[in-house]
Formats: sequence, C-alpha cells, structure tokens
Amino acid sequence: MKLQEIINKFELKALTHVEDREITGVYISDMLSDVMSSAQAGNLWLTIQTHKNIVSAANLIDISAVIVTNGKQVLGDTIELANRFHVVILTSPLSNFELATKFIQAGIK
Amino acid sequence: MQEQQCSHHWEMTNVHPGFIITEKCFKCNKTSTYFSAEDSPPLEEYREGEHFWNVMGSAQSVRFDLKCKNCNTLVPLKELAGMMMCTGCDEKCKVDKLMCDLEKERTWVYVAFGFRPPEETVPLSPEKIAIIEDYFNWRRGSTTSKIKIVSSDMIDDFDTCYAEVIKDIGLLSLTPVE
Ligand SMILES: [Zn+2]
Ligand SMILES: [Zn+2]
Repeated sequence: MKLQEIINKFELKALTHVEDREITGVYISDMLSDVMSSAQAGNLWLTIQTHKNIVSAANLIDISAVIVTNGKQVLGDTIELANRFHVVILTSPLSNFELATKFIQAGIK
Repeated sequence: MQEQQCSHHWEMTNVHPGFIITEKCFKCNKTSTYFSAEDSPPLEEYREGEHFWNVMGSAQSVRFDLKCKNCNTLVPLKELAGMMMCTGCDEKCKVDKLMCDLEKERTWVYVAFGFRPPEETVPLSPEKIAIIEDYFNWRRGSTTSKIKIVSSDMIDDFDTCYAEVIKDIGLLSLTPVE
C-alpha cells in the first residue's frame, strides 16, 4: 500500500511534506536504538517520541513515515528538521495499539 | 589461490542493548564515555587511579558488529560509541560544508564517533566507517537518497556540535536479552 492511501484511510495528519511511496510494513518502538538495529527501510514507524532526534533515526533507515501517536504534539523544530531531510511526520490521536489494530484489520503488517 | 573478491553483504550481528555512560572527573575535568551492558548502569562516584569519576548522564543505546553473509568476515565495532546526523550547526565545520555539498544529491551526512577521551580509547578506523556506510546504504536500499558516514575527527569541537545523536535518554530500565 502507498503512503498517501494510508494517510487518507486512517485519517492521519501530515505535519511535513509527504512524498508518496510504497510502504514495507509497520515498526512500533519508542526507542531510537531499536529503530537503528531492527526497523526496515520503508516501514511506518509508530512512536510517542517527538524529540528532534527521531528525524536522525528515521532518515538513517529511510523510514517511509514516522507516525506520532496518542495525539502527542510535535514541536516546530522537529517538523522543521524533518522537512529539511525529507522525513515524513504524521500524527494520529489513536494509541500505538489502536492504530496497529486498525492496520492489521486492513491487512497491513 | 582460492581468494576471490567478495562483494561483501553486511549484516548486523552480536546486537546488544546497553547504556552509553558519560562520566566526568572532578579533579582533571576529563570526560569519559563507555558502553555498559548491565541492567542498570552504575551511578555512584568511584576512583580510578588519579581520576574521580562522576556519572553525568546515561543514554540507552545498542552495540553491534557487522558480518558478511557471503564470506563470514566479522567486523567488530566495539570502538563505535554512536552515530549522529549532521544538521548544519556551524558554517565553519567541515562536516557542515560536506552536508551542504551533498544535500542537493539527497545524500545525508552522519558522523560516527568513538568513545572518550579520544587519546585513551581506540579510534574508529576509516575502513570500518566505510563498512558501516556500506551496510546502512544497503539496508536502506534506496535509489533516491543515500547516507555518507564520516569520522568525528572532522568536527572541530565536539562539545558545541548540535548534530542529532541517535540515542535514548532518560529510560533507565533495560529488558535483558534472552
Ligand atoms: Zn564478504
Ligand atoms: Zn581525572
């Protein structure tokens, strides 16, 4: 499934520019070190972390989009950095669990 | 002669979560960092020869080696303390200049750094840095963007650098590895 389709279908809000691309699955973690060791390129990364250094981890692995869950607010400097490095940041009011459940129901794993 | 050129295909191996501990000696003001794989990092002040080390901070991190899945060559990366993404914080910095040059081609610059103090720890070799770069570019598999990894030797002043370090701060519990 493509990123734009996911954004529409799951009512995600884009905080950055979106470049549409194919997604390769979902990775859930609040640890940047996990992302560095285990996430795959093209994954959607679900997290409650909002610090600027999420951009650093997401960009290293070429994550398709970071989805900040629980409706957590993402600060302007994180968004600014993400735009500069073409990292997509989306938000959802749902928790990691609720959003992941919806993904599984839609056949995304 | 059997030795054929292997076009290495690197994979992560010996992946261990742990902590990067930063300490400062209150006598000589030296900063020291090291990796601890213990469940909870030591937080007490201790004496080591002339030094009186005080823990200044700890960040969860991951230690790993790389291994070629074709020829089994193992590249131990015990010297690697972490990586950070250059955000262009200092126009005069050589890494910043490199980033500005490469940004147009969508090549993002990361800095690999070793442990401190540099004069008392084993530095990361350029060969190893090139292998880490190869590994991450292969794993990204992207045709539209790339990463370039450079040594922290390129940075004039590590303490005033605002690169974004890939680390987890403030999480003090660690799930033991099976
Ligand atoms: Zn090989
Ligand atoms: Zn000392």
